[in-house]
Parts: sequence; C-alpha cells; structure tokens
Amino acid sequence: MKRSVGTLNRTWLGILGFLVLMTGSIVILQAGGMLQGIMNTPPAGARVATADLHAVFAQSWVQAALLTIGVIVGVLGLLWMIAQIPRPNKVAAYRFHTEESGGRTLCDPAVLARAVEEHINTIPGVVSSAAKLYGTARSPEVSLKATLNDRADIQAVLLGIQSTVLPTLGAALEAPVTSSRIQIDISGKDQFGGTLHPSTGTVLQ
Amino acid sequence: MSLNEGHSTPLRHRPTRTIPALVVGLLMLASGVTLVWLTIWRLANGHWPPGLRGMRNWLAALDWADPGIWMIGAGLVMAGVVLVLCAAIPGGFGALRVAGADGSGADGMPDAAREIVMTRRGVAHLAKAQCLDLDGVGSASTTATAKHVQLHIRTPLHDQGDLGAQAAQRVRSCLESAGLQPVPRVSATVTSTR
Repeated sequence: MKRSVGTLNRTWLGILGFLVLMTGSIVILQAGGMLQGIMNTPPAGARVATADLHAVFAQSWVQAALLTIGVIVGVLGLLWMIAQIPRPNKVAAYRFHTEESGGRTLCDPAVLARAVEEHINTIPGVVSSAAKLYGTARSPEVSLKATLNDRADIQAVLLGIQSTVLPTLGAALEAPVTSSRIQIDISGKDQFGGTLHPSTGTVLQ
Repeated sequence: MSLNEGHSTPLRHRPTRTIPALVVGLLMLASGVTLVWLTIWRLANGHWPPGLRGMRNWLAALDWADPGIWMIGAGLVMAGVVLVLCAAIPGGFGALRVAGADGSGADGMPDAAREIVMTRRGVAHLAKAQCLDLDGVGSASTTATAKHVQLHIRTPLHDQGDLGAQAAQRVRSCLESAGLQPVPRVSATVTSTR
C-alpha cells in the first residue's frame, strides 16, 4: 500500500555503476599503457599531474567549480536518501455529487475502508485485516491485507471476500469495484486475538 | 508525484535495493559536504587546509604506472561491478501469487484486475504449522522464498523413517489447497534431538 522506489534505485545504481566501472577500466588501461596505443594518451611512466597543482587549485574559478560540484553531489545524495522513506499513497475523497445537484457529497475512503475491514473480520479464519480504497467513487479500487489463522481455509476466505465483501462495497457505492489486490498473511493467533494452546489431560479408566 | 498516485499499487514486487541506494546516497552526501567544507575553508582562510598538503605532494609525484593507480583502478572496477550487479540482478519476489477461489467471478471483475498474493512470511508460517501438526515432530523452523520452502524439523524419534518426506508432502498439499500458483518446491531436513 506504499509506493516503492525500486525503479529509481535500479536506474541510478545502474548509471553510477556503469560510470564508475568505465572510469576504473580507463584508469587500469592507462596504467598498463594500453590506452596510449588507442587514444594517444601519455605513456604509463608519465606524471599524472602535469601542471602545478598549487597554482591550479589557487584559481577562483576552480574553487567555484568545486563548491558547485560539492553542493550538487551532496544535494543529490540527500534527495536519494530521502526518497527511500516510504510515503503513503494519498487518495482524494470520493465525490458522489453530480454537476446537476445543488449540494456536494464527499466521503472519505477511509470510512468505507473501515466498514470493509469490519466485514472481512467476520469471515471465519480472519484474525485481522487492513483495507485501503483508491480510485474514484465511480471506479473504486481496493487494496486489502488479511491476516488469517494458520488453520483457516484460505480459499474459503478468498471466496468470502470476492463473492460477498467486494460486491457489498460495490452495491454501497452503486459502482462495481474495478480492481482488487489482496495480500494474505498467516498468524498463529485465533480470530479473537488470543493464541491457540493445545489442551492436555488424563484419561481415567 | 507518482504515476500510481491515487491508484492501488502491485503487492508482488522485487527488492527495491534500499540498502545499496542508502550507502551510495550517504557516500555522495559525505563527499559533497567534504568538498563544500574544504572550499569554504579555502575561501575563508586564503589557503587550503594543511591536511591536504600531503595528498597534493603525493599526487604531484604520482606517475601512471604507480601501484597506487592500479589499486585505485581495481577498486573502481570492483565498486562499479557491484553497483551494476545491484541494479541488474532482479531478485526474488517478496510474495507468492495465489489463485482466486472458484466462483470468485461473482464480483464481476476481470482476472487482470484481480491480484492475490501471500507473503513469504505467511507461507513459512503456514508450513511450520503444518509440520507441527505431524506426529513425531518436536519442533520446526521454516524458510520460504518465491520458489522454495525449506523445512528444518527436529524430532525426538530414534528412527526418523520417512518423517521428512511426510512433512514435505503435507506442506505441499496444504500449499496446493491454499491456491499458490505455482506451488513452491518443498524440501525437508530432519535432525534427531537424541
């Protein structure tokens, strides 16, 4: 129910990895003298720094460039780290009014989600549930997380959700649910919040 | 803003590479802060920090065939390969697909609009519960990936017989009846506590 940054991470890791790999390869080729025959670079025995470093770094434009590069790299790193924080996928209130109607009728999807959770929790085997509604009032989408007892009939619970809960939601909204996503988790707890304990006893003859 | 803003997002996805991204982001931030601090020091004092003098002398005397250059190149190549592999290796799904119940078409929804998954933790818990129901099993621990469920069973039995095969079969049947598609491979190791 949270948006992920997988694509962003893969893209930038790939780009940076490629750049670092290419830089390393060029450094090795140059150190081995192999680049000289291809690109007419200095020989392997030549100095890396051909100019006076003290004079180069004393120039004001070099300092300005270093400051700019530092700010850009630092800000990009910070933004990338901030992007890792999961952000909730916000959804606007459902609007039930029409253009012709005189008033406005809004409904917070969280209210409907709470009703959906209550309904799911009545299905045998369900320990707890969390629901979130997306989309619009005319095209609702549902994302559910249902935690079931480890003895629950999973297919029966799914049938209950798909044949009873979702149609009921659709009937309440007067619009069919257009998309449903259900995540099942399993727990050792029973439906009423306790924990199952096997009973023991002695048979008296 | 995301393309999925206001819409439900898929529940079954691959690893997001958060840890390598955080490490690289932290390195970038540290490099940027260091560079800015050094430049501000230079602007404020009129000279670079004395600590950089050794590095400048080392750089000035360095030639391309120096072992230090080889080490820098090799380090960069290794770091680049690691980053590229982090981006390229897809990784396993965090959840397993579950088939909808028979008669689930009652909601009037096309199959493409319906996604049902079970978490790997849920599969592992289900498998463990099935193992613990089997006579002869003292304790059990389970691990689950998208393709494989591994059972580790400890038994007080002296003769383990086909306990492992029984447990694997029982778990496989349970996962089939739960509707997992495809059903992951199940294997078991049995250890005697005697």
